[in-house]
Amino acid sequence: MNLEQLLLTRQLVKKVSTTDQILERANLVKPGPVKLFYGETYDEKGPPVDSMKYYFFVSNLAEALQKEGINVDPIILIADTAACRNAEKDKEKYTMVLGEERLRFVQDVNEIYNAGLHLLRMSDFIESSEFTERRRELMEICRGNSEFMEAIEKTVPDSQVIIERKNNFRYSFDEITTIIDLDVKIGPPRENLYDDVARKIAREKEQKELISLFLTPTFPLGLSWAYFFINNEIEGNGITAYKAGSKKLHRNRIIVGNSSPEFARDLIQNSFISINPSLPNPVLDLGIISEMAQRRLESDDSPITLADDFYVGKITASQLKEKVGSDVEKYILSKFYY
Amino acid sequence: MTTNLEQIALSDYEVKSELQKGLAEYYQVKSGLESLDRFVQYHPDPSRLMQIGVTFSHKGLESIAEAMADKKPWAAIMPGLNPSGLLHFGHKQVLDELLWLQKQGADIFIPISNEQTYLVGEANSLAESRRTAYENIIPGIIAMGFKPEKTHIFVDSDYPDIYNVAIDLSKHLSLNRVFGVFGFGKDQEGENPGTLFYRGAVQLAHILLPQYSEFGGVKPTLIPVGIDQYPYIQLARDLAKNKSMNPPAAIFLKFALGLDGKGQKMSASRPKSAIYLTDDPQTVLKKLKAAYTGGSVLADFQREHGGIPDICPIHNLMMYHFAKDDGLGRRCSTGEILCSECKKEAGEQILNYLAKHQSELAEANKRVNEFILNTPIRSIFNKCERGRR
Repeated sequence: MNLEQLLLTRQLVKKVSTTDQILERANLVKPGPVKLFYGETYDEKGPPVDSMKYYFFVSNLAEALQKEGINVDPIILIADTAACRNAEKDKEKYTMVLGEERLRFVQDVNEIYNAGLHLLRMSDFIESSEFTERRRELMEICRGNSEFMEAIEKTVPDSQVIIERKNNFRYSFDEITTIIDLDVKIGPPRENLYDDVARKIAREKEQKELISLFLTPTFPLGLSWAYFFINNEIEGNGITAYKAGSKKLHRNRIIVGNSSPEFARDLIQNSFISINPSLPNPVLDLGIISEMAQRRLESDDSPITLADDFYVGKITASQLKEKVGSDVEKYILSKFYY
Repeated sequence: MTTNLEQIALSDYEVKSELQKGLAEYYQVKSGLESLDRFVQYHPDPSRLMQIGVTFSHKGLESIAEAMADKKPWAAIMPGLNPSGLLHFGHKQVLDELLWLQKQGADIFIPISNEQTYLVGEANSLAESRRTAYENIIPGIIAMGFKPEKTHIFVDSDYPDIYNVAIDLSKHLSLNRVFGVFGFGKDQEGENPGTLFYRGAVQLAHILLPQYSEFGGVKPTLIPVGIDQYPYIQLARDLAKNKSMNPPAAIFLKFALGLDGKGQKMSASRPKSAIYLTDDPQTVLKKLKAAYTGGSVLADFQREHGGIPDICPIHNLMMYHFAKDDGLGRRCSTGEILCSECKKEAGEQILNYLAKHQSELAEANKRVNEFILNTPIRSIFNKCERGRR
């Protein structure tokens, strides 16, 4: 699968930075590596299968660029420090332990699927003098610019603004400091707020600007059409891919190492599905993740065509549900019986 | 140089364009209401009327969606069916929607307000309005294919329990609130205490009846209705909250245009405006021939400029009752089809439908009792007895 084919994968990539943009960046940074990045926090409910979409995509992107002779550094960041900032005071240690568990999970993914990912913890570098100095510099730039500060404030949910003001927007500045020197950041569309601030600051500093690459949002399984009709706010950004407890819908997620194949099948069978490509399709999302897993296990480099097959009617909704139920067990769940 | 006829055609076209604009404005989704588009997108099998935009907006449909998807009990009510005349195609579109709702799991309640017909002077006696209900309206409804086990029809004057429910509910409403909705006594002649009781209490009893314990208690309910009834829906929702019931949801349908034109509703009070489900073929064809259209007085003018299907009762009949999409509208507005050809197509479709419908009426007449609701409403009195202890 070449770079263009990967970026054009239907129902996987939502907003595409063009192939040319990425190749130009490679030219700009060579001989140094193009830094590809996906970062995630986590919660105590365990690793959702939806995170694997990002791991596999970063890995596939890295391989597609390597085929073009480009040096890459595909980074997966476990943002343990950020998760601790969100946690209650007495749960910080526990949250760090959960971070270790998530890291181990990604290590397992890396090994099982031969993904070649470079794993990092946020706590590995956040206290380093290099990071703190860079953060201090960014804070200084932003404080002298009301437009930047407004943009920083927008990165915080309304309910958290007062608290974050008191904390000098530490969470947001950590995030922006982490991503500002990257080349291609892969994430869900909702992360655009951070990416935009990083780009604005980079422009001000006349540095290279972050390229964002958004994958399609994640939607809960096992819910009927009525749920999506009623909860219209979910249409835009979906739920948080990497937190199983996002919107308290952990019972509607497949948690790797925890959910049984029977449970997964049941969720899939009871999921909303539509042939309208503009509507959420959690079963198809899961099918694509399973297909990416299969390709990696079988060292098959051909493009992912499941969404095309479904939307042109090569497979029906019930066939898709059957296939995905079987594939997710065979290519994902069966590999993680802890 | 334009001829007199061309000038007449042009001015007629301008009048019809204005009428079209007026209708479009009338149907703009009002504040407090939601478009039905998302429901149509998400529902696995939305009704034909929803898909073509005849049922176009809603209030509170979320509770119904949940009940439909989870297969929980819910009900749909067609309030205010007035036996002032025979069933016509204007009624049919609402009944079609009710049939679809029944297929989605709804229990259907169809109160027939014969006392209202009498009170406002549209029947000479209660007996006459009652006869129309039993001999025409109810068999006509049954012939459309409703399931008896999930359809509850009653004629108000034969179901006095509805008046007890009305009394129970009217305690929770003020006259000011009722006047606010109906403008009672201000604009309408012939008002009397009976009409006040009917509009301010009985019609609300129709809407909330399915939530009484005799029918399984509080549950989501839905009313398919015209947009002009929105204030009334609000009143029913407020009242339901006061009674700790589920506020009724509503879906709003565009009205059927009368054959006599000018953008008015098809109505039994203007017999030439309506095609009745009991009309014979000759009458139907005669009515169609005389019907107002969105076309031009000049065939050449219409071929050049096209017709205005949105204001045309013939296009309206075809769309609301037979079409899967608006192919006819496109042919009309591009001048591809003229009114005479369109009326011919409509005539064939309508006569086919009526032949089938009318052939079912004799059998439907025999089955009236299967559909009649006569469940006594005792829960109101039980509460009183508990109060005395």
